[in-house]
Amino acid sequence: SCSSWLPQRVPLRGSHWQSSLLELRTSLPGRAQPKKKKKVDVKKEQAQKERMKKKLRKLEKAAPELIPIEDFIAPLKFSESNRVRSLPALSPEESERRVLLLKKWCLFKQKQDEAEKKAIKALVESQQEALKELRLESEELYEAAIRRDEELFPFEREGPTYTPPLPGYDPPEGKCIDITKVYTQ
Amino acid sequence: SAAAPRPWKLFGAMCLLRLPRITQPLEKVEEEMAALMEQIELEKSHYSDHEMRKLEEEEQLQRKKESLYDEDEARGKVILAQDLEEKWEQKFQQFKAAPRITDADKSNDRTSLNRKLDSNLMLLVKQKIGNQDLWLLPQVEWQPGETLRSTAERAMATFLGDHIQAKVLGNAPYGIYKYKFPKAIRTENNVGAKVFFFKAFLQSSDLSQAELKADCLWVTKKELGDYLNSEYLKKVNRFLLD
Repeated sequence: SCSSWLPQRVPLRGSHWQSSLLELRTSLPGRAQPKKKKKVDVKKEQAQKERMKKKLRKLEKAAPELIPIEDFIAPLKFSESNRVRSLPALSPEESERRVLLLKKWCLFKQKQDEAEKKAIKALVESQQEALKELRLESEELYEAAIRRDEELFPFEREGPTYTPPLPGYDPPEGKCIDITKVYTQ
Repeated sequence: SAAAPRPWKLFGAMCLLRLPRITQPLEKVEEEMAALMEQIELEKSHYSDHEMRKLEEEEQLQRKKESLYDEDEARGKVILAQDLEEKWEQKFQQFKAAPRITDADKSNDRTSLNRKLDSNLMLLVKQKIGNQDLWLLPQVEWQPGETLRSTAERAMATFLGDHIQAKVLGNAPYGIYKYKFPKAIRTENNVGAKVFFFKAFLQSSDLSQAELKADCLWVTKKELGDYLNSEYLKKVNRFLLD
């Protein structure tokens, strides 16, 4: 019941507060000293709460700090001068060979890309022809065919490895301890 | 709606693909480029901790040879970086990976799924068309009430059993093969057939549980020519990527 003893500053919501205050005022006995202690303590607590709330609001208003990306920050010990690799300089034949190889690679990749595009075009054409013929047959089947397949995505597939899996292979035991730092906003 | 019956019979066929398990061999240009990239990466890098350790130990050994500094530096490491490297190399040599060319490759066993691990393998089944036995992609005739995709899936189940796990790539057909029946059986209402091809990826690599209902072969795109007639092959090749 002492929690309902509120200072006048607090807004009164609803008539039930009003009536309870009135009740209390009539029922409190007249003892000055202990009453003041309670009043002052409660007032101090209220003031502290207000200050904490104001601080929180200020912190929230400040823009959130960006989480540093560990991979982009090179540790300083790797930039020391004694770490610089000492290798002989490139001969002109070697640089010539490298330039020619890069040109050959450029051409190779261009041909590869063109072939891929051509294959995709053939794929699409083939499908369009099939759908056209299907439409001539039956509109209903055509509609069923062009409907989106909801179960197709998300589509997952494991890529090929260099050697096939060894049947009955027992990998060596070991424990992996994850030491990545986790930042919270 | 009661439309005039079409003169074409509809078939749904499934092109079931077993995807490659290993990487294809690199071309010469690719190998040279990979080597060059490694070389450039090495040139632009700094020494790692392991390499620093190796350099320090080499210096120590050098100093030991020139003058006898045994007492001061002997308290150093028991295992040298060089020893570690040799140990790792030995361990690597002891590991034997599975071979890329399998027994099925050597014997050219075309009924095996364990062949040509770096290419796509397609399923061919022997079917009776008219009075001929032909090697085709599994197909069955469309029945009213089902979509063409279901027809193709039924074709797959008819020849490989119900427990086959395959991911069909969408509801739309990938290609079509249209042909007219031979003049002997051709009528106005029964001119020919349209075979619609669907594509699916085989999910399980183990078909020992499958109930094979007919002769099956798994072949690569290049080997299709050994079995399919040229018109059919032309249409199938359009939707097959290498």
